[in-house]
Amino acid sequence: MNTATVRNTGARSIPAPVARAALVAALIAVWQVAPTVGLLDPRLLPPPSVVGPMIVQLFGEAGFRGHLATTLLETLVAFLVSVPVGFIMAILIGENKYASDIFKPLVFFVFSIPKSIFLPLFIFAFGISFHQKVAFGVFSTLFIVMMLSFAAIESVRRDHLVVARSYGATRMQTVLRVYLPGMTPVLLEAIRVSMIFNFTGILLAEMYASREGLGNVIEQWGQGFQLDRLMATIVVIAAIAIVFNETIRALESRCEHWRE
Amino acid sequence: MGLKAVVSSPSPAFSTDESGAVEVTNVGHVYETASGTTEALTDISFRVETGRFISIVGPSGCGKSSLLMMIAGLVQPTRGTITAGGRPLVQPDPTRIGVVFQDASLYPWLTARSNVEFPLSLRHVDHKIRRERAEEALDLVGLAGFADKHPHELSGGMKQRVALARGLVQDPPILLMDEPFAALDEQTRLTMGDEVLRIWERTRKTIIFVTHGLSEAIHLSDEVLVLTSRPGKLVDRVSVDLPRPRSFEVMGGRRFEELRERIWQRIRS
Ligand SMILES: Nc1ncnc2c1ncn2[C@@H]1O[C@H](COP(=O)(O)OP(=O)(O)OP(=O)(O)O)[C@@H](O)[C@H]1O
Ligand SMILES: [Mg+2]
Repeated sequence: MNTATVRNTGARSIPAPVARAALVAALIAVWQVAPTVGLLDPRLLPPPSVVGPMIVQLFGEAGFRGHLATTLLETLVAFLVSVPVGFIMAILIGENKYASDIFKPLVFFVFSIPKSIFLPLFIFAFGISFHQKVAFGVFSTLFIVMMLSFAAIESVRRDHLVVARSYGATRMQTVLRVYLPGMTPVLLEAIRVSMIFNFTGILLAEMYASREGLGNVIEQWGQGFQLDRLMATIVVIAAIAIVFNETIRALESRCEHWRE
Repeated sequence: MGLKAVVSSPSPAFSTDESGAVEVTNVGHVYETASGTTEALTDISFRVETGRFISIVGPSGCGKSSLLMMIAGLVQPTRGTITAGGRPLVQPDPTRIGVVFQDASLYPWLTARSNVEFPLSLRHVDHKIRRERAEEALDLVGLAGFADKHPHELSGGMKQRVALARGLVQDPPILLMDEPFAALDEQTRLTMGDEVLRIWERTRKTIIFVTHGLSEAIHLSDEVLVLTSRPGKLVDRVSVDLPRPRSFEVMGGRRFEELRERIWQRIRS
């Protein structure tokens, strides 16, 4: 047994999930205690004992539920457009060597540009509207979807394709029975990461200019110094993002061994 | 002929059964790539009679895999013709030829059983029949109890057995194997060799077996084809006249050493 193993076992005397939960609990405790004992101004950082009930209160308000619904709808529509479109574009480009040579570098160029600087242009093009939010969400997400889809296509093993061909698989059978399952692990990762970009894009568009949506209320309550409401909304948004992310991650781990 | 076909007497020297015959005539292959052309093989001709076990040996890069891929119909020869079962191959025909690859190339998302069923499911074979045939094939390779395991739960040797079962499941008269046991350790390789012999003796398929191991080639085959490289050429056909079953004594004997020496000399020339 080497020293590394010894050190490892030492550190593992507390199981990682327990340690993680303890860490989160400690952070929440500090958040609770610091403003109540006067270490922090409670108006600047309302403690969990204020934010918790505020979340409940917000869900009771039709206005807030409307904002939540707007954001979720925009996010969903943008996601349902950008992921399939990006994926299909990636396949069309990835399948053809010539198209790859032309388009792949361009996709990388555009991907590297921060998308937020285009927000004013989207307002010119679409006005301040549902369409503008969705369009910007799609624009924010499309390129990461394409890049990750390229990686997904490349992750399909060549020998898996040769086997299918040697057993006389048709083109359609190869796509459905080999390509699709072969790239599923990377594709799930693509979906997970794309959602982060997508959600960020929608919230940013709402914060920049809008009349509704969670981004809009965050912006307003921040300006209006309503930090209890602001913090409650932040917690709600964080929870939505984490739940989506973890759901996909659970799926990913179920097909972990597909990568071998 | 079912997988369970009983042991038959060794095939006569001139078989009239064309179903498992492979005929390669003046075959050459040139790969065209961005960096230029590679002449992988030139003017290869040989015939394998039904039920024979032949090995192909030769230095790395001499075109053994290319030759096998052409016989399988996965690569079209640039020159010459190939027939399998008396008919030319324009595309892979899994009912005539089964292929087993170097790294088992199983689908990790499918169980052993589903991997074996895969060729049948592509042809929409009825579920019940599919299952029966897969079970039979897994049984034949000694993996009856492992049907529901995924590849990551199997050892390297077991994976190759599954790949072998997949190659056998449609009961093709011809089986091509491209260094199927190269990635395995010595002991497992020996066991797998015996396994292939046992299956060959039971089913009397034509087997074309590519390997780097000269001893393995002599141990298994009726005949060893020797290729040399750049471009790959057929330089010798060595008939292995050792009696079967080939015991340890036979394998340590003088005749074995002579054959090995002859093949080795031909490869080096
Ligand atoms: N798809 C390909 N494109 C271009 N050249 C190729 C291709 N496949 C093989 N070659 C070339 O053809 C020659 C023969 O390759 P092949 O893989 O058939 O040899 P091999 O005898 O199987 O080698 P090894 O023993 O290492 O497996 C080599 O020079 C190789 O570089
Ligand atoms: Mg090879």
